[in-house]
Amino acid sequence: MKVGLSWDPSGAASAARAWGDIVDDMTRADALGFDSAWLAEGRTSASSCAQPSIFLAFAARRTKSIHLRPLHRRALGEHPVRLAEEIALLDHFSHGRAGIAFAAASAQRTDVELVHETIEFVRTAWVTNEFRFRGNYFRFPEHMNATVSAGASFPAWQGHYVPQWKWGAAKSTADFLAVTPKPLAVHVPVYVAIDDDATLECAARRGISPYVSVGSTTDEAKRRLAKYRSLADDAGRKSHEVDAVIERHVAIDGPTDSYTFGGSTHDIACAIREFAAVTRVGHFVWRYRGHRPADMERFANEVQVRLQA
Amino acid sequence: MEFWTSFAGQMVLRGAATSVTENYDRFVNSAVNAERLGFDGVVASEHHFEYNRFLPSPLQALAAAAAATSRIRLITGAMLLPLYDPIRAAEMACAVDVLSGGRLVLGLGQGYRPVEFDGLGVAKKTRGARHSEAMDILRLATTHGRVSYSGQHYRFDNVEVNPASLQHPIELWFCGGNSVVGARRAARAGIDYWAANLPLEPARTLIARYKEFAREAGHRPEQLRVAIFRDVFIGETVEEARAARQQYLDLYYDEHIRSYGYLLDADGQPLFEPPFDHPAYLQFVDSLYCGSYQMVIEELTHYESLGVHSITVPPIQIDAFSKHILPAFRRRGQ
Repeated sequence: MKVGLSWDPSGAASAARAWGDIVDDMTRADALGFDSAWLAEGRTSASSCAQPSIFLAFAARRTKSIHLRPLHRRALGEHPVRLAEEIALLDHFSHGRAGIAFAAASAQRTDVELVHETIEFVRTAWVTNEFRFRGNYFRFPEHMNATVSAGASFPAWQGHYVPQWKWGAAKSTADFLAVTPKPLAVHVPVYVAIDDDATLECAARRGISPYVSVGSTTDEAKRRLAKYRSLADDAGRKSHEVDAVIERHVAIDGPTDSYTFGGSTHDIACAIREFAAVTRVGHFVWRYRGHRPADMERFANEVQVRLQA
Repeated sequence: MEFWTSFAGQMVLRGAATSVTENYDRFVNSAVNAERLGFDGVVASEHHFEYNRFLPSPLQALAAAAAATSRIRLITGAMLLPLYDPIRAAEMACAVDVLSGGRLVLGLGQGYRPVEFDGLGVAKKTRGARHSEAMDILRLATTHGRVSYSGQHYRFDNVEVNPASLQHPIELWFCGGNSVVGARRAARAGIDYWAANLPLEPARTLIARYKEFAREAGHRPEQLRVAIFRDVFIGETVEEARAARQQYLDLYYDEHIRSYGYLLDADGQPLFEPPFDHPAYLQFVDSLYCGSYQMVIEELTHYESLGVHSITVPPIQIDAFSKHILPAFRRRGQ
């Protein structure tokens, strides 16, 4: 299994202080061999991070191995071109460690099709050269006549290649464009929180990795992941296509509750193993907040090593 | 007078083979080098589409550079503001400001390449108005952390921007090319003006006009600053400096200046691939100053005497620039 940590910086008095602490945590987690670091997007308090890819570009240069994921990234209000560009850039600044986890449609108070269109667009943008995209929510490029088919389409070969610097005035509004840079990774991991049924169904049928966040109870998380698997199986999807993630609180030597795996480090390792066996998730993420550095080290030495086995 | 330099890497398109990832590493490394060599700021520009080495998000690159530096100012020049939702731009800027300990400077341009507007869904003809409105919004957002605004293109009602920037406001510069229109717009808004590459006499004229416009608009000209991108090339001899200029033209300018409508004809219309003997191209090449170390010191001293706040020089000779040019100005400043 892979093991990661997530942070939501909201709620602190000072962004500078809270963000500095999180960078220190990420650096420590990187040194301890954790697989992933997830930073939640938020806008509700003075220490919230509305643009997590900016934060993670900074963290990328302070870490070496840990994978970096903006978490609960909103599609609503962001231009898909900019989302594709920001994750590709993060991938380069981190030497291939980037991914992105979108918020569920209900959390964005938008239609699931907008989230799906955005994901379709960024995935296409990362692996193709010139293309165009006609969606219900946006078009790329903007100019496009009514006969263009929905989704992504590609230029027909014209018999010769014209480099961009030869386009001149006539082609200064090209019908097809390439979004750049391309990420270092061939397939950048894309996740979406499956907190509502519409997003869950969309993710399952279309092969998007599910992220069950700490807001769901453990029992609810099991039910959601079972439903995801069932729908994915019906759609002919394979388990290896996705990286299913469960996020929980952890209380070392503390109590277990509906949102928390607690007890001894052995108990916690068993709880995670059991959850993985039941749901086939391959990635556990610890929602990290206010813990002592010694907790992270104990978790790394006593839980993570057993999960990596 | 301050000295800024551009990120190395964002302009090298030909003749410098490297992996794409290594190219982005160069951005960060050039910020580290510039800081070590005594420059005051490092500048990241913005372009979109087609090239893997383009930098579509200068603020993200500056965040990466912030992690590797501690003193140098991190500057966008130019960030193409009409291509952003201004609240998103403010959120990104505030995040970089927090991460860098308050070292961010925003140089904001309006863009000129048609494909960039079309690809990002913004009508190019609206860029001037969007630029002005979005600058106002950025100033509000980074001063008060909250925006209420009603303009032709943007409307926001009491929108909170989190986190708040460390600087209140973040320093804003209007990147207006070298046009009188840009200078007038910056002056009317009371915003510092960052001109494109300009020889001395045109610079003197433009600065005078800018200050005049500011006075007419009710601003105090002495409180407004001017920065200039000044492409100077140096060498032991003028011939050496010209060789450096030719290298820069081959690697970068011959495509970027000629191919995308940056140069204008006599009627003010954009030129695409003008011949190498076109007057607009020749005038541009002539504006790239070549001189021995002493000649460059004297040339830049003239800009200092005009009250120019900062000069931005190309990144390809910053070691030599640091060794031969900066000390003369540092001694004077002490």
